[in-house]
Amino acid sequence: MNKPLDIARQRYLYLFKKYGVGMLFMLPWIIGFSAFVAYPVGYSMFMSLHKVDIGPDGFQYHWLGLKNFHDAFVVDNEFPIDLISFFQQMLLMVPIIVIFALLMSLMLNQKFPGRFIYRAIFFLPVIFATGQVLTELFAQGAGDIPFVDQYNLGPLIQKYVGREFADTVMYVLGKVILILWYSGVQILIFIAGFQTISPSIYEAVRIDGASPWDSFWKITLPASVPFISLNMLYTIIDLFTFPDNPIIKHIKNNMVKIDTGYGYANALAWIYFGFIFVLIAIVMWFFSRSMSRRSVRS
Amino acid sequence: MSTGVWTERAEKVSQTVKGIFWSRTSQRIKVFLLGRSLSDGLIAKLVLCVLLSIVGYLYMQPLIYMVSTMLKPLNDLLDPTVGLIPRELTWENMHTAYRGLVYGEAIRNTALLSVSCSIVQVFICAVTGYALAKMNVPFKGFFSAMIILSFLIPPQVIIIPLYVIYSKLHLLGTIWVFLVPAVFGQGVKSALFILIFRQFFKAQPISLEEAAKLDGASTFRLFFFIMLPLARSACLVVFLFSFIWYWNLYYEPGMFLTNSFTPLSIRLDHLQEVLNPSPFGANTVQSDVDPTTESAKMGAAFLIIAPPIIVFMFLQRWFVTGIERTGIVE
Repeated sequence: MNKPLDIARQRYLYLFKKYGVGMLFMLPWIIGFSAFVAYPVGYSMFMSLHKVDIGPDGFQYHWLGLKNFHDAFVVDNEFPIDLISFFQQMLLMVPIIVIFALLMSLMLNQKFPGRFIYRAIFFLPVIFATGQVLTELFAQGAGDIPFVDQYNLGPLIQKYVGREFADTVMYVLGKVILILWYSGVQILIFIAGFQTISPSIYEAVRIDGASPWDSFWKITLPASVPFISLNMLYTIIDLFTFPDNPIIKHIKNNMVKIDTGYGYANALAWIYFGFIFVLIAIVMWFFSRSMSRRSVRS
Repeated sequence: MSTGVWTERAEKVSQTVKGIFWSRTSQRIKVFLLGRSLSDGLIAKLVLCVLLSIVGYLYMQPLIYMVSTMLKPLNDLLDPTVGLIPRELTWENMHTAYRGLVYGEAIRNTALLSVSCSIVQVFICAVTGYALAKMNVPFKGFFSAMIILSFLIPPQVIIIPLYVIYSKLHLLGTIWVFLVPAVFGQGVKSALFILIFRQFFKAQPISLEEAAKLDGASTFRLFFFIMLPLARSACLVVFLFSFIWYWNLYYEPGMFLTNSFTPLSIRLDHLQEVLNPSPFGANTVQSDVDPTTESAKMGAAFLIIAPPIIVFMFLQRWFVTGIERTGIVE
């Protein structure tokens, strides 16, 4: 009679011995995740399907279904435009940041006197390339490169990339230095990544007569493909909260409007997240495919 | 006659020796200038330095603009002929900014917030990362996926529910609104830190653990007295990043810390209203650039980033080498 209970108890005891301490170490994170991530995510989804009014006794919800999402594209005449223009900016900004980080890290990885000073300069923006200081600099128009105005590049750009995209290009060029400030962590990741390539490979190809140019294309670049993808992902995530972001401003404005409110703002945030998520998925899929192909070949 | 032959021969030999010597020297100079590979010659290094200096100057230009603007009097600021170097230096803007930010109090708040939160984050992320790397945890893959997912969710999506939760817990307006999530592993970018620690602990050899266990160390002892001291460089990296990101945090403090306990970033936001109150009330839309407060704002921005820059200056060497060794990347 007692036997199955005993077995069960022993089983639990065994499980506790096996997993107990590990679960204890994980416990704070699990509590935090369910309280400060999982629950808010669910709640925010719930809100996005309702019209939320602030009554005298807290929130009041009116079921709307998918109307908020529908409105975002059909009724709202700012949001789709903001979304498109932000994605255009992102398509330009992500490659600029990643390529710049790659070039800088290649240069900073060489041995030359005063390397530490230069490294310090290029990591410096990590300290303040977030938050309010950057917004202030954006507002004052600091950080444009002088030759855009000097040589009157505006019409030229319009001629080559078409009118729809020209504004975006001009905007990005106008703030290009502040955008480059977003590459501090990426430079670090690349430099750390280069350390993982063993120097004996370079020595071997040099003996075989490869030029530095060859060894860059044949060794450094293929070996840093995982870091390029990592950096692209990091950059995209980082640009979510870009201080000059029109969508975030729009979401914030809608939060306090009476006729839209929290529900609509949440729906906008979810749409925004959905688009970024698709972008991230595409990047991940692309890089995982190219990497798996490489491993098949070798 | 025979001596003539010998001197001729001797001359020939000396000439060939000289030739070899000169060709060697020129070779040496060539190697010195151009290097054996592309990167270790003098010319290549010079080109590299010049290139980096130019890019570095462009890169630092907004910072230079900031410093120059904050030291300019209003006349120089409005005069278009004055470039980056002001005609006369003034500390007036700095004083205004200092007073407008209530700097002493604000820096105390900010420092308290960022130091306490980042210490907590180092500890809790190390614990979680260690559990994921070396311990038996059920659903490990699921947890890892959730950690990455929590990194992806933008704060804008969950800020309203979080506001409701914090207000129910009576945390709003106090430092606890940031400390409590940090204690439970949900601080600023904690997902990234957990992944850094996980990577670091994974790289540690398993024999170390076994040896400690054979000597009778408990799991806690093993973690606190062996693993954590080993992870010193990872801890430093995480601490610095966390410190800097908490220092600059703007969106969340703007939502949660509006009244009493405000950090520097929020005060910079309100500086315009403090210095030059709009006659139409606080809610009217102000133009982005107001020349009378522009200098003071730049001064305030400089005051905000100065302390982390000083910290960074002292620690950057360890910081960089630390990152190279932590295995932030595999």
